[in-house]
Amino acid sequence: MTGMFTVYLVDDDPGVLKSFSRLLRAKGYDVKPYSSPQAFLEEHDEAIPGCALLDVSMPDLDGLEIQDVLITASGSHRPIVFVTGKGDIPTSVRAMKAGAIDFLTKPVKDQDLFEALSRAEAMDTELRRLRSEQDVMQAKVRSLTPREREVLTHVVAGRLNKQIAGELGTVEKTIKVHRSRMMEKLGIRTVADLVRMAEKLNPSK
Amino acid sequence: MTTTRIVVWSIGLLFLLAGEGRAGERARVLMLHAFNYSFPATSVIAEAARKRLIEHSKSVEIDAEFLDLARNSDEAHSLQVATYIRDKYEKDPPNLVITLGSNALPFVIKYRNMLPGIPVVFASISPQTYAALQPPPEMTGIITAFDLAKTLALAERLQPQARRLFVIAGSGETDRRWQPIARKMIAERGSKFETTFLFELPYSELVTELSKVPNDAIVILLTVFADPEGKTFVPAQVAADLSALSPAPVYGPYDSFVGRGAVGGFVETFESIGVAAAEMAIEILGGADPATLAPRTNPAQHYRVDYRAMQRWNLKEKDLPPNTVVLFKKPTIWDEYRGSVLSALFVLGLQTIILGALLVQRRRRQRVEELLKESDERMTFAAAAANIGLWQFDRDTDELWVTDHGRVLFGLPNDAPLTREAFLAAVHPDDLETASRSLRKSFRTERSIASDVRIVLPSGKTRWIRMRARSYAESNGEPKQLGGIFVDITDQKSAEAETALQRVEIEHLMRVSVLGELSGSIAHEVNQPLTAILSNAQAALHLLKQNSPDLVEIRDALEDIVHEDNRAGEVIHRLRGLLKKGERKMESVNVNDLVRSTVRLLHSELIGRDISLRLDLDHGSSLTRGDSVQLQQVLLNLVMNAMDAMASTPIAQRSILISTREAKTGMVDVLVKDRGHGIPPKENGRLFEPFYTTKAHGLGLGLALCSTIIEAHQGKLTLVNGEDGGAVAGLSLPAQQPAVSAV
Repeated sequence: MTGMFTVYLVDDDPGVLKSFSRLLRAKGYDVKPYSSPQAFLEEHDEAIPGCALLDVSMPDLDGLEIQDVLITASGSHRPIVFVTGKGDIPTSVRAMKAGAIDFLTKPVKDQDLFEALSRAEAMDTELRRLRSEQDVMQAKVRSLTPREREVLTHVVAGRLNKQIAGELGTVEKTIKVHRSRMMEKLGIRTVADLVRMAEKLNPSK
Repeated sequence: MTTTRIVVWSIGLLFLLAGEGRAGERARVLMLHAFNYSFPATSVIAEAARKRLIEHSKSVEIDAEFLDLARNSDEAHSLQVATYIRDKYEKDPPNLVITLGSNALPFVIKYRNMLPGIPVVFASISPQTYAALQPPPEMTGIITAFDLAKTLALAERLQPQARRLFVIAGSGETDRRWQPIARKMIAERGSKFETTFLFELPYSELVTELSKVPNDAIVILLTVFADPEGKTFVPAQVAADLSALSPAPVYGPYDSFVGRGAVGGFVETFESIGVAAAEMAIEILGGADPATLAPRTNPAQHYRVDYRAMQRWNLKEKDLPPNTVVLFKKPTIWDEYRGSVLSALFVLGLQTIILGALLVQRRRRQRVEELLKESDERMTFAAAAANIGLWQFDRDTDELWVTDHGRVLFGLPNDAPLTREAFLAAVHPDDLETASRSLRKSFRTERSIASDVRIVLPSGKTRWIRMRARSYAESNGEPKQLGGIFVDITDQKSAEAETALQRVEIEHLMRVSVLGELSGSIAHEVNQPLTAILSNAQAALHLLKQNSPDLVEIRDALEDIVHEDNRAGEVIHRLRGLLKKGERKMESVNVNDLVRSTVRLLHSELIGRDISLRLDLDHGSSLTRGDSVQLQQVLLNLVMNAMDAMASTPIAQRSILISTREAKTGMVDVLVKDRGHGIPPKENGRLFEPFYTTKAHGLGLGLALCSTIIEAHQGKLTLVNGEDGGAVAGLSLPAQQPAVSAV
């Protein structure tokens, strides 16, 4: 819907490629058509908001293999919609498990296509928003002094000021100063918010 | 002309005769017979002498006088005869006188002056007579020495059991000379026999005595010129008469007795006496002095017997002394006509053989004729049973001979005339040209020409007939006889048609089965354009909804829809072609196009199986003639096989190369090369066999069918292992020149 959403279109069939391009452009999408997976992988730019519309059966690299290369190997978050001539269940299950937005069967109805694409767009937008929040927070974290960062870690871990002072070899009063300055720099008022932020920044922990 | 020749010849002949006359002095010989001409002995001697003389010289002139001294022994008669002879021959005396009979010599000596100085040759003079007469020197001749002992010896040999001997002699002058000779001889032989001398008996008494003689006795007959009663006899006749009545065998010293009933004896033949006398006469006529020629004894004396007499008295031939001349032996037909009999037998034999041979030949001919007839009948029957008609056509007479079954095959009524036209009229109009062409061709070659034509029967039904024709060359090389067979091949033709139909069915089924295997991929091939069409249509609709629709884009979209629709249509068309059931249709086929079209059909399948496909197509026209559907079926099969072969090949290596080449041999080659497992050695050569398969769910008909199709296109299908692994399927088709409507 917005002029800034790009659809990476990959299909080895020139006719299909052209018609999809035309349809998507008519709908207002920015379309980057590729007849070969290699060309797509070379030109793919993670920074551009958008999704990938991949044909499943193609010579050399099929759609699922592209997905594999893109997500697993490159750590891309690009939402992927598959289109296939023969919608067999094992293939579609595999694709969905790997995080595909949808698995469409040719010929594709425009509503189905647009619905899938809008979901892809929503996801892409959400992911991008999350990623930009993290970026802001990370920048705030980076602005902390090493002592303030140490205090942050201990606060998130749920320790009391006295325990932190003992740990760091200082007095409780000093810790309180660090703590209030750190909270101020991060723009967070409560400990709960702090913990939530930490989780967002470092989901693995 | 002829007259002239005769005259000339006659003159010549006269000269010859005249010459003869001058050359030799004409010799005259006078034969003096002691008796009259009825005496066989002297007659035989005279005749033999005459023959010898004439044989020596034709100019000898022979006279004869009969002194008849046996009948008239008185002086007056003798003088009268002598005078008569003197008077008769005085003027022209003979050159020589031959006397015949012992009584003639004393007469000549007595009347010396009757023929003065004329040499005399006597014959049949006994040594005793000669000694007693003491003839003058100009008289010489043949002395006959009778060896009576030998005659007796002959009798003894033939009758070893005989004890009684009867000796017969008359009372004439000669008879009386014999009497002492006989007595003396018998006395000398000793007293072996009880001898009875029947001398000087009146003839009737002699006959009586003789008839009483025992049949195991020996009778020796000397001479009976006269009996005491004054009767005179011819001894040879006496011999005949006495032999006829004698119970015992009669022997005698004279040759004249032999043949008249006597058994025989040691005799000289009167002929030999005559010849000996003539020899002497010839010497004297030739100039020899008779005084210097001593009287000779006739050397030609031997045993002579009458076989008939021997038979009569039951005497054995084996008892005869050696060198005995057996007279009157009634020769057997074999002896007499040995040559003729042999010839006759030979001819008879030959005739028998010829007759036999002819009979055998006749029998054989009859047999052969029967066999021929049987064979003919059998052949006709067999031909009819096999639904075959036999025929022969004479070009000159335009005559056609056809078996009855041949008529039936052509549906001709029995009374229809047999002509070429009648037969050709039955041929289906469409096949008439074929039939006539085949017949014309047959006359040009000695090879058998066959052609299949349809016959329209009077019922309107059609019958397929195979006409097989062959010409028979004449001696001059110009064929005028044409012969052959008609075979009803209607069943065969319908079977062929059925087979062809079945073949078409199978080919179709195979295509359907292949397409069934490909159905997913093919659906994808149709799905792609459908997808494009739908998307284009929807794009156009979206564009139209906009405030200022981009008409250029909309038109592009519609154009693409048309294009994609065509593309889908092509796939459907290709499919329909392959799914169609039909007869083989020969047309110009571009092999490269065929490959491309096939590959297009397999596009999705190849992708689905992760197989890459490369084309290396010849830049030439690569045209062949054939049925494109069938050829595509073959190609499809070969590529499918290649794909199947690579099921266990690593994905990165899965590839197929299809190349086309126009070979210099006038063939277009298509090679389908894979990187699969290749052909295991044990399967090599069996892959083209029907129902042989290496696939889990294969029918084993694919390659067999492909091979049949390619062979029907005069092409060749090969399957070999590639140099660097995998298999290479080769397809060779006759190239067609692009000049001919390259569509």
